[in-house]
Amino acid sequence: MIEVNELVKQYGDFVAVKGISFNAQPGQVTGFLGPNGAGKTTTLRMLTGFMPPTAGSAKVAGFDVFDQSMEVRKRVGYLPESVPLYRDMTAVQYLMYIGEIRGIKHRRERAYEVLRRVGLSHRGDSLIRTLSKGMRQRVGLAQALIHDPEVLILDEPTIGLDPIQVLELRDLISELRQKHTVLFSTHILSEAEQVCDKVVIIQQGAIIAQGTPTELRATLERGGRVLVRANAPVEDLSEALGTLPSVLHTEIVTEGLVVTPKTTDHDPRPEVARRIIERGWSLIELRPLAVNLEEIFLELTRAQKRAEVVEAPPSETQSETSEAEVQE
Amino acid sequence: MRIIFAVYKRELGYYFRSPIAYAVAFALMLLLGLLFSGSVGQAVEFNLQAQQFQQQPITASQLISNVPTVLVFLLFLVAPLITMRLIAEENREGTLEVLMTLPMNESAFIIGKFLAAWTYYTIILLLTLIYYVMLSTISVPDAGQAFTIYLGAWLYGGAVIAVSMIWSAVTEDQIVAAFLGAATVLVLYLTEIGAFWASQQEITAGASDFIREIGLTAHYHSTLLQGIIRAEDIVYFILMIVGALFITTRLVEIRRWRA
Repeated sequence: MIEVNELVKQYGDFVAVKGISFNAQPGQVTGFLGPNGAGKTTTLRMLTGFMPPTAGSAKVAGFDVFDQSMEVRKRVGYLPESVPLYRDMTAVQYLMYIGEIRGIKHRRERAYEVLRRVGLSHRGDSLIRTLSKGMRQRVGLAQALIHDPEVLILDEPTIGLDPIQVLELRDLISELRQKHTVLFSTHILSEAEQVCDKVVIIQQGAIIAQGTPTELRATLERGGRVLVRANAPVEDLSEALGTLPSVLHTEIVTEGLVVTPKTTDHDPRPEVARRIIERGWSLIELRPLAVNLEEIFLELTRAQKRAEVVEAPPSETQSETSEAEVQE
Repeated sequence: MRIIFAVYKRELGYYFRSPIAYAVAFALMLLLGLLFSGSVGQAVEFNLQAQQFQQQPITASQLISNVPTVLVFLLFLVAPLITMRLIAEENREGTLEVLMTLPMNESAFIIGKFLAAWTYYTIILLLTLIYYVMLSTISVPDAGQAFTIYLGAWLYGGAVIAVSMIWSAVTEDQIVAAFLGAATVLVLYLTEIGAFWASQQEITAGASDFIREIGLTAHYHSTLLQGIIRAEDIVYFILMIVGALFITTRLVEIRRWRA
């Protein structure tokens, strides 16, 4: 169980995490999704007790990450992004070392047990420096599992793996949900969609959406861009729909016309349909563009930009920077 | 305790797996061996002539002090070499990130590392006892003085290792850590020069003594090396070790807060 409440991390003038709040429930896999540099690693590091938050609080397995750091650390298994390991040790030696610091009994048996769990027991006595990237990733995961923690925090666990290893690791993560609260970060959206029960989307240090993949899709179907096809010249269609009060702008694409609403909490589809019927055309197709998380993510990024434009039209230089940030 | 021991075992194991530890030990033993055989040869020649000219012969006790004297001088190179990677490497490789999310204190981690480096040095120091054994077959060296010489060299080594370890926590770059460590230890070794300079400057009389007392040599060369055990010297070395380990621990904590 992870409860994050208004968590802030500031490095000098730079605010990496801007007061985020979310929960991760036991028996679920929570995906922490965002582009590179969004503040994912910083947040995970605060949750593991590696570094203290600037403000706000977080509870992991019922303990405060700042005031009860040792209790949290006992109950968390953590795989950092770079998968740091001692290359001069064998996998089993390394796991036994971590196990000894964690105060685990029967370390050798336990080391082999977790290696079996991650499918690497046949290479337990190989020096870590001789293992491939995917195998090292699994040793890192074994390290996070060695004390059978309540909470597992994995930072980009599938990065740098080949497609088969990625699938294996995703299966393993799915399996782990039965006994552990799993929080893992990724910038690959399809991964989050396949594995997660819940997705938290973070961008520039702020949460821009959270919910189950299905919920997120529903939100966007409500306020996201829609594709319109009707038996009318697309230019006329564009002209007719562009003047609707809830529509920000329209865009002609090969398939038809893409309509962008002004806000995400207002579904433009009824108005669009009505206008088309009023003009005496026949509506052929009216569907939301976001069908997978990848598109949801892009939509949310666009929606955020749109909100900025609608709320306060910024000066030219400002809008350039905001665009650069969004692209980033 | 369990954690200190776990870290200690791993680090000591690393010394015995890594080529640099063997290279350092080999170079030291070669140098000290040549020095010892040279000084014994010279002493034998001198003593033959000394009888003729009625001079004081060189005693076995004096010979015993030769090797540790050179060893503690060379520590300005050796200590940084054996401590430079201790924390810098964990920092650079990111292994520190995992360790700092385990339920353990930074201090246990630092103490374990320090004890491993000190043990490595102790092994080298014990190997040089072979010269004492060799001398005692041809002469009768002063066992009491030999004890204080080695006790001093051991404490001296601990202090110097702890001090150069600080730099390993300051920078991720092992070479930089080694250079800064060597410079620090050398300065502490050469405080006699500073003390002499201060005594020439007609500033307050205490300044010269103060500079001298900070240095390492004032607590080894003129006391323990001569067979004199003073409580203040023992306290000095222990304080150096404890103080340096405290600073190192704080530095690791600070890095984490800023990370």
